[in-house]
Amino acid sequence: MSRKVPIALGGALALAALPFAISDFWIFIAIEVLAFALYAVSFNVLLGYGGMLSFGHAAFFGIGAYAAALLVKKAGMAPGLAFALFPLAAMAAAALVAAIIGFFSVRRSGIYFGMLTFAFQMLLYTIALKATGLTGGDDGITGLKPPGAFARPAVYYYFALAITVPALYVLYRLVSSPFGTILRALRSNPRRVQTIGVNVRSHQLAAFVISGAFAGLAGALFAMSSGNVFPGWLNWTASATPIVMAVLGGVSTFLGPALGAAVYVVLEVMISGRTEYWPLAMGVIILALVLLMPAGLTGLARARRT
Amino acid sequence: MMSAAVIPILQVTALAKRFGGLQALGGVELAVAPGEFRAIIGPNGAGKSTFFNTITGLLRPDSGRVIFEGRDVAGTAPHLLVRQGMGRTFQITSMFPDLSVRENLQVALLAHARRNWSIWPYARQMHTERAHELLHLVGLAGDAGLPAGTLAHGDQKRLELAIALAGEPRLLLLDEPTAGMAAQERIESISLVHRLATQLGVSCVFTEHDMAVVFAVATNITVLHQGRVLAEGSPAQVRANPLVQQVYLGESITSEGVCR
Repeated sequence: MSRKVPIALGGALALAALPFAISDFWIFIAIEVLAFALYAVSFNVLLGYGGMLSFGHAAFFGIGAYAAALLVKKAGMAPGLAFALFPLAAMAAAALVAAIIGFFSVRRSGIYFGMLTFAFQMLLYTIALKATGLTGGDDGITGLKPPGAFARPAVYYYFALAITVPALYVLYRLVSSPFGTILRALRSNPRRVQTIGVNVRSHQLAAFVISGAFAGLAGALFAMSSGNVFPGWLNWTASATPIVMAVLGGVSTFLGPALGAAVYVVLEVMISGRTEYWPLAMGVIILALVLLMPAGLTGLARARRT
Repeated sequence: MMSAAVIPILQVTALAKRFGGLQALGGVELAVAPGEFRAIIGPNGAGKSTFFNTITGLLRPDSGRVIFEGRDVAGTAPHLLVRQGMGRTFQITSMFPDLSVRENLQVALLAHARRNWSIWPYARQMHTERAHELLHLVGLAGDAGLPAGTLAHGDQKRLELAIALAGEPRLLLLDEPTAGMAAQERIESISLVHRLATQLGVSCVFTEHDMAVVFAVATNITVLHQGRVLAEGSPAQVRANPLVQQVYLGESITSEGVCR
């Protein structure tokens, strides 16, 4: 505990001071890191705590992004009001979709659970691609812009920070709560959880909906920064991203996936700026990860200490 | 056999379960009085596991009734049975290996207190006293901080017993509680279960292969054979039953156990 407080204070100061130290381009990247950190941590609530590997988590990230985009572009609201409401709208839309997908998916476990989430995501991808009137089809929805001063990268960065940090705190309380403790027991031995009097499917479904809602929030935050959303965000290849981020950072710690997201995003920017072989570099990184440090970056740091 | 005046805590009538062509249970009858320590024995394939899984809600019976404290609970979901006061342990040791010994009990106590949906308070300090009491009861108080998966097999069984007791069951079903243990460890282990069940007023039904264990603690014995009740009675009655001796072909049942 004594070591945690100064680290948290130092981290908060660094995050607050960041826009003064870097260019607008890197502020954009920092916003992307915040969004993907929230995405990876919310994904890891399922994987690292609940032992549920979702192969379709991009569905929620994408639904959140589309919900925010539609609210801003097509709901006919005043820009300020739409902007104030988009985080909630994104979470609500993603939670609703997660409730439907989760209702069916938690009936199976392991690879079958993963395949069901995968299948639902492909359905949603196809809808995003073909419902041209609503989603713009292949062209996506572009020209999203926060109103007024929020359009400035540094201001939007603070806005994203003011959403991401409390969201992460809520998730932290969740995994530390009785609900989260039982979730960890579920990863360890689902059958035994049933025989201590817990409805396993309801518990898994609740975790799935919460995880999906925060993934949706992450997607919306990112969409408003990048200014657009495309159907590809819901494609199955996009679902690999939170998996790689979580494993890269370490699934057994709460903030490990956030660190993984930061490293992933920054590496992608640096490597794809120099070469077109970013997928090759990512492949090598994943290989190194699994072979040399299966517990991820945080696991590596922990092994050093002991 | 029990007198007619006693209301059974568990009464099973005409319980049947078929898997494809196999009639695993063909009309099993059972009545367990409060305070009993009932053993269910029988050769491999007699239907003990199916019987157990049907009573505890993991399998739905094809027909028949399972009456627990006066209510028909056949086909009730396992987690609801547990909430109604019917606990169980598993043949293969079943606890939460990734969690600490203390957390194993906290999880069970949180579930028993219906705190499953509590998503804000920190769980770390919850039910620690009761967890410690239960660990003390089963002799694991010194291991509270260890990951449960690192405990020796016998200690994992004790932990599983403590997890089951955390739910304050009135009836506890134990599936092969001494499976995988060394001979002298088995008697020790079942005696602990017997002592705690008596102390806490918990009725028990257990399946067991080791006759020494059965005769050490059982108040009554039910013998299953080919999905039916072959014999039932006190240990002395069952031991003297010629049908039972036939089923355990070539094995004589003595108080020292099965001699081969």
